[in-house]
Amino acid sequence: MPRPVNRASNAALRRLVLLGCAVALPCAAQVDPWEFEVYPYSTTQRGMAELETDNAVVVDGHSAGGEGTSSGTVRSQGMLYNSYEITYGLTDRIEAAIYLNMAQPQGSGLQWAGDNLRIRGRLLDEETLPVDVGWYLELEWHKTPQFDDATRELEFRPILEKDLGRFSVMANPKFEKVLAGAGHGDGVEFGYAAGVHYRWARSLSPGLEFYGGSGLIDRLDPMAQQSHYVFPVIWGELPRGLEYNFGVGYGLTRNSDRLIVKFNLELERFVGAMLKASSDRAWLY
Amino acid sequence: MRIKNLMAIGLLMISCGMADTGSVKIILEIRFENHRFAPQTLTVAADTPLEIRVVNLSRERIEFESFKLNREKVVEPGASVVVKLPALRAGTYDFFDDFHQDVPEGAIVAR
Repeated sequence: MPRPVNRASNAALRRLVLLGCAVALPCAAQVDPWEFEVYPYSTTQRGMAELETDNAVVVDGHSAGGEGTSSGTVRSQGMLYNSYEITYGLTDRIEAAIYLNMAQPQGSGLQWAGDNLRIRGRLLDEETLPVDVGWYLELEWHKTPQFDDATRELEFRPILEKDLGRFSVMANPKFEKVLAGAGHGDGVEFGYAAGVHYRWARSLSPGLEFYGGSGLIDRLDPMAQQSHYVFPVIWGELPRGLEYNFGVGYGLTRNSDRLIVKFNLELERFVGAMLKASSDRAWLY
Repeated sequence: MRIKNLMAIGLLMISCGMADTGSVKIILEIRFENHRFAPQTLTVAADTPLEIRVVNLSRERIEFESFKLNREKVVEPGASVVVKLPALRAGTYDFFDDFHQDVPEGAIVAR
């Protein structure tokens, strides 16, 4: 004779199993929503300082945390991601930058979401290799689990660029390791930023940019849990040297937010060089 | 596996490029003095890689920039920089001083 089913305890058990899975499994693959930017081979020149603000608004996102561009407990729908970045050209081939990341969930005020330190460089001179090659190393830290449950992360990107006439094709494969916080026991995450920019006019040019996160390098997430976006963009230079990049991003997978609008602004000025000019024969610095 | 393949292709491309670094290139010169570039129109051979040495003979810092060629380099007073360019298709390519908007724009004409 079958034993009577205890529906209440079964439901509790199901909830416990689901909760266990949620803790054990890594979050769905994410992009960095504070920086929808593709890095070129060229670096900020020696002695130049650049002030930049990157902004992205999730117009049509997800209603639960950990989905879409959200890596924390706050939902992505209606979120404003806002960052400020100061970059300085240390040498003719290396720049250093510091970031302040802010976030404004829908219906709340602007809140601190973390900081980054980054160095980036280019190898050799342009046109030495068939593809111009650079590198990028970034340390991120944040103790804001509502926006990101990993408290320290290290990111490395090779930077690849090829100019074909008026087209520039750029690719930044991203390799990210969580040093502290959720996921620190996991391996290296893989993502990318890439773009094709056409130089039409200094004040207004078109482009297409791509951003994505695929999960751990040795265990990619199922496609529905990956994040992939395509952004048609316009970019150019406004009066007084103010450069802009405006784009509308469309999510390509179920986990991606459906619609994001980004608007980046940057201003570059010479402030004075700390180091001497690099040697013509140098390739690293 | 796919990522390993991509990395292998990347390394192959880089090593192929290393082998190509000895190719001969034409070196030309543009000078900046009296708040203008000279020559203002530089005619070069199309379909040939070249290098342009930009010499700043003035007392002001300049930024040699070409939007169409995707190049920008700061040149200190009394210093020079080398701008490497790929083989250009026949056409006209701008260059200007991005630090001084009143400096007349120049052109590189590839024929």
